[in-house]
Amino acid sequence: MTVYNDFVIRFANVNGSGSASANGMFAKALFRMGVPISTRNIFPSNIEGLPTWFEVRASQAGYQGRREGVDLMVAMNAETYEEDAAAVVPGGYLLHDNSKGLDRRLLRADINAIGIPIAKLILPEFTNPKQRKLFKNIVYLGALSALLNIDFDVITGMVSTQYKGKDELIQPNIHALELGRRYAKQYLECPLPIQVRRTKQLDGKIMVDGNAAGALGALYAGATICAWYPITPSTSMAEAFEKYANQWRTDAETGQRKFAIIQAEDELAAIGIVIGAGWNGARAFTATSGPGLSLMSEFLGLAYFAEIPAVLFDIQRAGPSTGMPTRTQQGDLLAAAYASHGDTKHPLLFPATPKESFEFAADAFDLSDRLQTPVIVLSDLELGMNDAVSDAFTWDDARQYDRGKVLSKEDLDDIEAFGRYLDVDGDGIGYRTLPGTHAEKGAFFTRGTSRDAYARYTEAPEAYTENMDRLAKKWRTAASLVPAPEISGHRHRAGVVFYGTTAAPMAEALVRLADDGAPLDAMRLRGFPFAADVADFIDGHEFVFVVEQNRDAQMKTLLVNELDIDPAKIVPVLYYGGLSISADAIAERIIEHFDEHNLPRLKEVPGGLGA
Amino acid sequence: MKATDIRDPSYFHKVVDCQWACPAHTPVPDYIRLIAEERYTEAYMVNWESNVFPGILGRTCDRPCEPACRRVRTEEKPVAICRLKRVAADHKGDISPYMPALPTRKNGKRIALLGAGPASLAVARDLLPLGYEVDLFDRDPAGGGMMRSQIPAFRLPADVLEEEVDLILNMGVNAHFNYEITSMKDMLDMNYDAYFVGTGAPRGRDLDLPGRQEVDAHISIGIDWLGSVAFGHTHSISGKVIVMGGGNTAMDCCRTSKRLGAESVTVVVRSAFEVMKASDWEKEEALDERIPIVNNRPPKEFVHENGKLKGVVFGCVKPVRDEASGRLRYEPTGEPDVYMECDHILMAIGQENHCPWIERDIGLEFDKWDCPILDETTFQSTHPKVFFGGDSAFGPENIIWASAHAHQAAISIHLFCQGKDLKEDRPPEGLNLISQKMGVHEWSYDAEHDPAQRFIVPHADKSKALGNIKVEVELGFDRALGAREAQRCLNCDVQTVFVEPLCIECDACVDICPMDCITFASNGDEDDLRARLTAPAENAEQDLYVSEELPTGRVMVKDEDVCLHCGLCAERCPTNAWDMQKSAIHIPQLGTYAA
Amino acid sequence: MTFVAKPRVHHPQLPLNDLGLNRRDYEGAVSTLCAGCGHDSVSAAIVQACAELSLPPHRFAKISGIGCSSKTPSYFLNASHGFNAVHGRMPSVATGANLANRELHCIGVSGDGDSASIGIGQFAHIVRRRINMLYIVDNNGTYGLTKGQFSATNDKGSTSKKGVPNLYEPIDLVSMALQIGASFVARSFSGDKQQLVPLLKGALLHRGFAFIDVISPCVAFNNHNGSTKSYDYVRGHGASVVTADFLPKDFIATAAETVVDYAPGTTETVALPDGSRLRLSKLDESYDPHDRAHALAHVLEAQQRGEVVTGLLYVDPDASDCHEILDTVETPLNALGEAELCPGQGALDRINAGLR
Repeated sequence: MTVYNDFVIRFANVNGSGSASANGMFAKALFRMGVPISTRNIFPSNIEGLPTWFEVRASQAGYQGRREGVDLMVAMNAETYEEDAAAVVPGGYLLHDNSKGLDRRLLRADINAIGIPIAKLILPEFTNPKQRKLFKNIVYLGALSALLNIDFDVITGMVSTQYKGKDELIQPNIHALELGRRYAKQYLECPLPIQVRRTKQLDGKIMVDGNAAGALGALYAGATICAWYPITPSTSMAEAFEKYANQWRTDAETGQRKFAIIQAEDELAAIGIVIGAGWNGARAFTATSGPGLSLMSEFLGLAYFAEIPAVLFDIQRAGPSTGMPTRTQQGDLLAAAYASHGDTKHPLLFPATPKESFEFAADAFDLSDRLQTPVIVLSDLELGMNDAVSDAFTWDDARQYDRGKVLSKEDLDDIEAFGRYLDVDGDGIGYRTLPGTHAEKGAFFTRGTSRDAYARYTEAPEAYTENMDRLAKKWRTAASLVPAPEISGHRHRAGVVFYGTTAAPMAEALVRLADDGAPLDAMRLRGFPFAADVADFIDGHEFVFVVEQNRDAQMKTLLVNELDIDPAKIVPVLYYGGLSISADAIAERIIEHFDEHNLPRLKEVPGGLGA
Repeated sequence: MKATDIRDPSYFHKVVDCQWACPAHTPVPDYIRLIAEERYTEAYMVNWESNVFPGILGRTCDRPCEPACRRVRTEEKPVAICRLKRVAADHKGDISPYMPALPTRKNGKRIALLGAGPASLAVARDLLPLGYEVDLFDRDPAGGGMMRSQIPAFRLPADVLEEEVDLILNMGVNAHFNYEITSMKDMLDMNYDAYFVGTGAPRGRDLDLPGRQEVDAHISIGIDWLGSVAFGHTHSISGKVIVMGGGNTAMDCCRTSKRLGAESVTVVVRSAFEVMKASDWEKEEALDERIPIVNNRPPKEFVHENGKLKGVVFGCVKPVRDEASGRLRYEPTGEPDVYMECDHILMAIGQENHCPWIERDIGLEFDKWDCPILDETTFQSTHPKVFFGGDSAFGPENIIWASAHAHQAAISIHLFCQGKDLKEDRPPEGLNLISQKMGVHEWSYDAEHDPAQRFIVPHADKSKALGNIKVEVELGFDRALGAREAQRCLNCDVQTVFVEPLCIECDACVDICPMDCITFASNGDEDDLRARLTAPAENAEQDLYVSEELPTGRVMVKDEDVCLHCGLCAERCPTNAWDMQKSAIHIPQLGTYAA
Repeated sequence: MTFVAKPRVHHPQLPLNDLGLNRRDYEGAVSTLCAGCGHDSVSAAIVQACAELSLPPHRFAKISGIGCSSKTPSYFLNASHGFNAVHGRMPSVATGANLANRELHCIGVSGDGDSASIGIGQFAHIVRRRINMLYIVDNNGTYGLTKGQFSATNDKGSTSKKGVPNLYEPIDLVSMALQIGASFVARSFSGDKQQLVPLLKGALLHRGFAFIDVISPCVAFNNHNGSTKSYDYVRGHGASVVTADFLPKDFIATAAETVVDYAPGTTETVALPDGSRLRLSKLDESYDPHDRAHALAHVLEAQQRGEVVTGLLYVDPDASDCHEILDTVETPLNALGEAELCPGQGALDRINAGLR
């Protein structure tokens, strides 16, 4: 039986072999044919020589989470033959270069080996060693087009677009494609029972990674200053910002730039620049990952206490310490929420898709200006660095930036006594002024030390306490401003709470759980501090699963800590292996819990259980 | 410049501008601090010891201290020193414990005081504690002299006057009132050991213009008229009154006329408003009582009809400043003369010394202006036994001068009676400097600068005041206002004292000084230095305080002109090279000297 | 610290500048530093320089790190915003502030503890980036706030108050600044305003990164015999190579000025961006303040001799600044609004199309 648009294909390559470009073309080709896909780059912390994998999951149902098991393995790295062969599901396929015959390590009786003498095909055609290396990837791409029934025009079209301007490269690439395709057609059974077919499902959709989306969001939000220090997996965000800014923020006449990007000497300087710029009224951001967040903590405490807007994108990777720098995790939650010493906390946003990466990036700047505090967008490698199918970005041209409570010269003219930290409106947020605004009024001293409502230095217990209490009040205001949770279903005794990139496998797991008689209400957290809905949701269920990608159930801690919830009520569902959590892992763990506790598993009944 | 000798008593005395300007050298900042602390009795006594009549002077003093007040140079309005003096008098408690002890045994010396005005009374006060027997002679029925006869009760209530006069009389003065002195020779024959003449300047000037004789019945000499009112001989004045003259007597005359029922009162002055002799506040009070003051109108003729005064003709002039001398002179404007109707004229155009009772053949010599020839230090006349003081010494002045003269005359009389040299044996002025540092940031005085503007003294309700000559117009500061006004004092007697060897030239004092008084610079002559200071030192009347040469070859130069005495230089000095030290200037008085 | 508030009243004849303001209008709060602290003199010199230049007192961004020196921005230019950041990180905050609004005068004040230890990385990098600012290090060779430990600029062999010698080599920030590319480098002494004030003026008007290392004695912990950062030591061992006189835009030499007889080859004027000039007077004809390598060599040699070289050591009047390097628009970035910054839905349609 032929299966359309539902498979996992994994490319096992050697880092630095140029496979990324071929693999990317493969994914893009599927996308262009309307096949709902998601991609995952599983790469080492290395530039050249170590194993790297690229995985494409096609899902007719549109599931974007990772799925266990590989249907077709493109085993191009001899070093990992054994484990690559082992990853293939029984009955699956293993494509390899058999120029030197079939390697014993690839031998498995329950799978189908597909040998293509890729090297042999290449050798007579190309003399340049560099081209030989690169075109091996193109050859298997050509073969795959035949095996999976990919429109060849889509692929050749892509080659032509990719090498536009370097026309001398187009023909050799197409030639290499044809080598593979022709070989497959001639010697192999084509197409396979897993194959693609065109749909209109993705019309209007785009394929993009979260970092690029976030960078674009920052651009649209009016960020003018980006200060950053290279660290995987956030680097591509700063680079994408630079690309977009160069394109859209360069004055057409003068060629001058309406932005400034500083690759700082370290994360300390990066956040310092952002805070300096925020203090002086420009929208500024930095992008980093866990180790950077640790370094920035001191400054984040300053910005919290001095009440300076700053936007920080934490593209999480697996910690602690250097951890697994190229693997994904949701392990920075507590470090971000409470970054710095003393009673510090920061609003967090949890985007789950590239579209949300775009939107939350833009919202983060409004929130940060409104709340006069650092806002941290918690993305992760899974979202940040992998292309995913996404709804197209939209922007309301009528949208005005919310620059928050900033007094103009005219405002100051009308004010008798300006108090920077006075809670005039009762929301815990004072009015701020920008340097240089007014000749006589509004100047104040910004500092990380205690001060009174008029920004005068003081160590008086009452003044300090009053200020801290106001900051707590501001925190409560923030709860109503950050994106509200998304809640689905209101009928079941158990619920599930999740956030960020757990959303994609969760969607799939929820369906599976319902099918398995364990239907759950679901709440996707999108921001911190928690809105009132969050406590209501948890209170409204006998128990809730909290699914997240770290060892210590950090979201559980945060919920228990912030909302005073009985910890026994929360059942953690955790995965922290460095890949993204899969629907399978979630569903299995939850079913296990039902079984372990002899909880009845029923088919979903309209009207709910006992209600 | 040469390094300043701050041990010279007059150096820091000059810095205390108010005290320096006060003829009696009353230690103004001292008593103002006491008032700020609500220690009124002590504040009163500081005054009483120095100027003898604090209650009277607190109302009537010509206040030479106020224009001198440093606050005029730093912030325009001086501290209301005079009114603060009155606060001390108004709120004082029992002063008897502070009064000097009077010896029960006299020293055998007898002194005659001629005239019972402030000068004589002050001499009596100084002499009595030393055992002198003092006889006082005056033609009036009560003591006080011009304080009683010339200052109307609405400015100086009788009880205030009497309290302070009696305080002295009750020290054991043998008073001979209603005693008309007709001959100095007779007095000398009474063989006192010394004589003090304090008979004032009793003769009011007259004006000999056409018609003067004819209208004599309708013209009064101002001071005589005021005296007649004071002693109850005159109770009213009617018709249209013109007061001629621009001094304080003129102001008193016009305001008294208004209270005694004049139909209208007009002051006519030959000179310009700005240069009138009357104190500013006296002019203001008159204007405030809606009395017109007409300036630049010299009188020409008294117009009369059948011996009845009809009015006065005045010329019209304008003041012109003489380029060369800088003085004002008056030129006719060319306008026609002005005729002003009137029924009565009060002549207040000045007064002069007048001693017709002193025979000119007794060895007491007079100069060409008919004033006694005196030694300016000792107040001794050419007759060794006879001393002068008050207005009778050098002409009309204010009461405060009488006190000042009296102290010097009393010392002279004492030295004379003890057979000592009046100059050689005179006690010198002295200076005491005491650091005011109490702790790290603690000073014994309130150094904080009060930026408050001068507070306004409350007045009696006008309808009430104008109806009764005995109702005092000014009510004085209450305790609260007095304390606030006292805070405006800059404590100029707490001196910035610089100790060269301690200075490390860190500039802290230069940087902190709010008035840019301090400069470290290479030395030069005074004009050169004045031009090179941090802020221009253009007020040459104020000294530059120059240190010895410092290790860098520079000197410290401090312009005393606008120093606030805030002590910040000393606060910020890491080595105590600057200190705030209270300068107590010791002006000898007989009491302190003899003790 | 002093409790007596500095009175607002000022000398009645205090001169007014072109803006109608007097020097007092450029002051800040009363210092809470120890009496006699050199840092207060530096603050006073800044006040004087800004007032005499008629710079609007509210058009500054004052940024500092942590420490005694970093408290000082409170003590000058009260009308301006100040930012007391975290230890050693003033350079990054200043960088952000300058990027956000290039029109404000940016003054960063740091200390030797702040800049030569924890902040040495940020110091080096802000020099590289040529942020258009005046960077002052109040250099007293000691940690004042923690009571007298040696700092990294303390000279080897210099002793503590108790007589214990410092065993380590000093870091010389002037040499570093010269080496890494600062375009205005000077050293001065808090006790010599005649030298310091014109240097500050030149630095304030200089376009590019201006660095002034000001030896600023700590009276509490490092002003004793044996200290090389004391008033006495600096006065005794100071050697000024190039003194600067600030000549305003409309400067016309007065009679007194023209009388000054400079030896040939020892003076020159350097133009500043606003049309004013710095007149440099060299004590040694051979010294070339435009030769970075020469300046560096001179500083190092003098250091060997135990001399404290002061004065304007290096200036490049044609230097560029970070905004020039980044080619940013003239309008301050913080003044750009939606219209200039947001490409809008139309552009987004094109971007979306590119992602298909």
